[in-house]
Amino acid sequence: MRKLSLTLFLFCVFNLAAETLLLKGGLVHSANGETARVQDILISDNTIIGIGNNLIIDGNTRVIEADGLPVTPGLISPMTNLGIVEINALDITRDDESDFLTAGFSIFNAFNPHSTLIPWNRSNGVTSAISTPSTSSFPIFGLGSYFVLDGSLEIKGAKDIAMFGRLGSSYGSRAETLSILESLLEIGRKYRGGTPVEDILEMTLADQLELQPQDIIALGRVVDDRLPFVIETNRAVDILQALSLKEKYGLNLVLASVEEAPMVINQLKKSNTPVIIDPMDNIPDSFDELGSSLELGKILDEAGIPIMFSTQRSHNYHLMRQGSGNAVAHGMSYESAIEGMTARVAEIFNLNNRGVLKIGNLADIVVWDGDPLEPASFPKIVIIEGKIQPLSSRSTKLTERYTNKEDKPSSYKH
Amino acid sequence: MKEKALISILFFALVSCSDNFEIDVSFGETESINPGIDDAFVSTYKPMESQSILFKSANIYDGLGHEYRDYDLLLSNGKIEKIGKSIKAAGVLVIDATDKWITPGIIDIHSHMGVYSAPSVSTSSDGNEATAPVTAEVWAEHSLWTQDPQFALALKGGVTAFHVLPGSANLFGGRGATFKNISQNTIQAMKFPGAPHSLKMACGENPKRVYGNRRQSPSTRMGNMAGYRSAWIEAVEYTDGMNNNNLDRRPTRDLAMDTLMGVLNGEILIQNHCYRAEEMAMMIEMSREFNYKITTFHHAVEAYKIADLLADEGICAAMWADWWGFKHEAYDMVQANIAIIDQARNGTGCAIVHSDDEVGIQHLNQEAAKAMAAGNRAGYDISKAHAIRWITSNPAKAAGILDQTGTIEVGKNADVVLWTGDPFSVYSRAEKVLIDGALAFDMNNPKIQPITDFDLGIIQPQTNRVK
Repeated sequence: MRKLSLTLFLFCVFNLAAETLLLKGGLVHSANGETARVQDILISDNTIIGIGNNLIIDGNTRVIEADGLPVTPGLISPMTNLGIVEINALDITRDDESDFLTAGFSIFNAFNPHSTLIPWNRSNGVTSAISTPSTSSFPIFGLGSYFVLDGSLEIKGAKDIAMFGRLGSSYGSRAETLSILESLLEIGRKYRGGTPVEDILEMTLADQLELQPQDIIALGRVVDDRLPFVIETNRAVDILQALSLKEKYGLNLVLASVEEAPMVINQLKKSNTPVIIDPMDNIPDSFDELGSSLELGKILDEAGIPIMFSTQRSHNYHLMRQGSGNAVAHGMSYESAIEGMTARVAEIFNLNNRGVLKIGNLADIVVWDGDPLEPASFPKIVIIEGKIQPLSSRSTKLTERYTNKEDKPSSYKH
Repeated sequence: MKEKALISILFFALVSCSDNFEIDVSFGETESINPGIDDAFVSTYKPMESQSILFKSANIYDGLGHEYRDYDLLLSNGKIEKIGKSIKAAGVLVIDATDKWITPGIIDIHSHMGVYSAPSVSTSSDGNEATAPVTAEVWAEHSLWTQDPQFALALKGGVTAFHVLPGSANLFGGRGATFKNISQNTIQAMKFPGAPHSLKMACGENPKRVYGNRRQSPSTRMGNMAGYRSAWIEAVEYTDGMNNNNLDRRPTRDLAMDTLMGVLNGEILIQNHCYRAEEMAMMIEMSREFNYKITTFHHAVEAYKIADLLADEGICAAMWADWWGFKHEAYDMVQANIAIIDQARNGTGCAIVHSDDEVGIQHLNQEAAKAMAAGNRAGYDISKAHAIRWITSNPAKAAGILDQTGTIEVGKNADVVLWTGDPFSVYSRAEKVLIDGALAFDMNNPKIQPITDFDLGIIQPQTNRVK
């Protein structure tokens, strides 16, 4: 029995080692700052082991012709509800909100790798994503986690990699929101400084805000340049307030939305704070975002600010391609657009060995049938950690069913 | 019916003699069964001043399915004058359109601009009269805020006309109206001349949720159906009553019934919010029961399941390229939905890409590009010249304005867009947008980039969203 196991083990190792894949002649956008050029990518097991031309391969290597098609790292969406919301209007399918926790609310254990959104987004080129709790009236609404979208029950990713919050108009005064936010950061500092959780729970503020031990521990992770803290905010003065909190509390700050960023572009540039934007949102949708425009991406890019992308709507996180394409149409550089969906996210959220096509990185790769920034383009091949993924989804299955002209009830067409 | 008539007579008798007199005169003057439709709140739109323009060497999608390469297009007196090779014309403004594309102006059949204006604050939430399930008496145009900054953004995206609908909270949400995309100080000055009204109906989750939550009917889909049918029964009686030769026997005018009667008389077009296949089929059956026509199903996420039925009935479906999952009835999205509708029954289907969204309306060309690509991946062979119809001539047909706009044909309104490149590319922008031959937007001329009163003094030089 023991011997058999060992044999099996050796067989598996041998088999994995033998499984090398050569992606030949694609127009490789490596997302490491270089312009795209035609190259081969050699993948062994889950890792990129070669990139260049004339790579040496043996007879066991499976060769896939990329025929000059664009190749990018798998897209990484930085702000999603993937795996934690199935249907927005059905609370019973939502795991993105907590009535009990705030900063300490982690969605990690709610992640459903079988959500129909996962094959859908994956087949559209998104190979991994950060899922976050949803906006609440509280200035901090919890911890986001990183997930690899291979649909496996053995969930790959990283738990609680960033804190999410917001600053801006709410039911009360934004001054009050800001004051609560600052108090929470003070609490984080106290905890970091060694004050026991029990003592902090005794504080009037902790009591009034109904903080739980998990909240306090999580707040301790945010202060003094640790966990990325994503604050969604739009109004120019609110952006400045967030930047001063960054200074004061040593935040690893990321700003999201920032529709009025062009008005404070110099301060943003000086602080070198990365941003997550929806480049298509030029609607002055509230009195916080009267300065919105389609030139946001261009202005941020010209200032050298690291940019990532979110989408206006849920469910289609791959539409950040369309968003970044529109940003390019309005003056953002093409490379910044590609990197904003790949390398920047990996770098800013410390997702090791992803986001860039280079030797040693995990092989999350997409081959596109056209320019990936064109909304009409679609992946031809999606690879996650070296494995070629199916491109089917509920949507493709429904399409097959209803374009099948056999004369029988549709429920028998499968 | 008897009870209703009796109440009407009592109302006449008791309320006021002067009202009685006015109504009699109105009937006498117009001979109209339905005076409200014909003579109230009519368009006062006047085209902006224009000069004759000759686009040289343009590539053109005409909205009828044709593609012209390196053609000239002459616009004069606000109309399309001539399409051809090497057109010569004196005293006209010549614009070199080499390597650029011209399409008909884009039309959105489903917009809430002006009734859900930006900023979206409670005081501007004017799109749903969610106080009763049947509010066929309200008119979306009476909510329109003429200074909505969203109009100019849609214009920048090539939209020359749009149909504004009430929301979908109600079974009958009220009348919709079509507008020219030129901000004016009055609503009537923006109304598209000669465009028919529509009646917004809504299936499914929204009405049953809104009223079910209040413990009133409808709280189920069967309650929805009962609600529509009861209203149509009343409308048939009202219409019969209004046809009575004896003026004294006619019912008291009722705004809601006027609207439903307009549908029964074929003067008002049904724009029906409906996601699910079986519900759309039921709505069609109900239209047979009461003998009216459905013009368009809106959102229609499951239209592909009944594509042949829609083609047979001559009903358009207005759809998104890919939005889904925000509610249960939007769960069965397929990217090929628009293409499947288009290709039904040997390509006789009527597919429309709509927005229902202030961002989407600015990029309908990109939405059409996605839908076309998805269709071609599903095995169809759909050209760009064909797909442009989804955002031009088909919505024009659904809005009842195809005789005036929606295609590039001699004699039609000169509503056209000059694109910097292939209109199906994300990198192309609407360089010039003309409405009735007048330049309404020019990306290279700040003087021809409209700024609403709202944006004036708010837009900063570094964030001019209209340029």
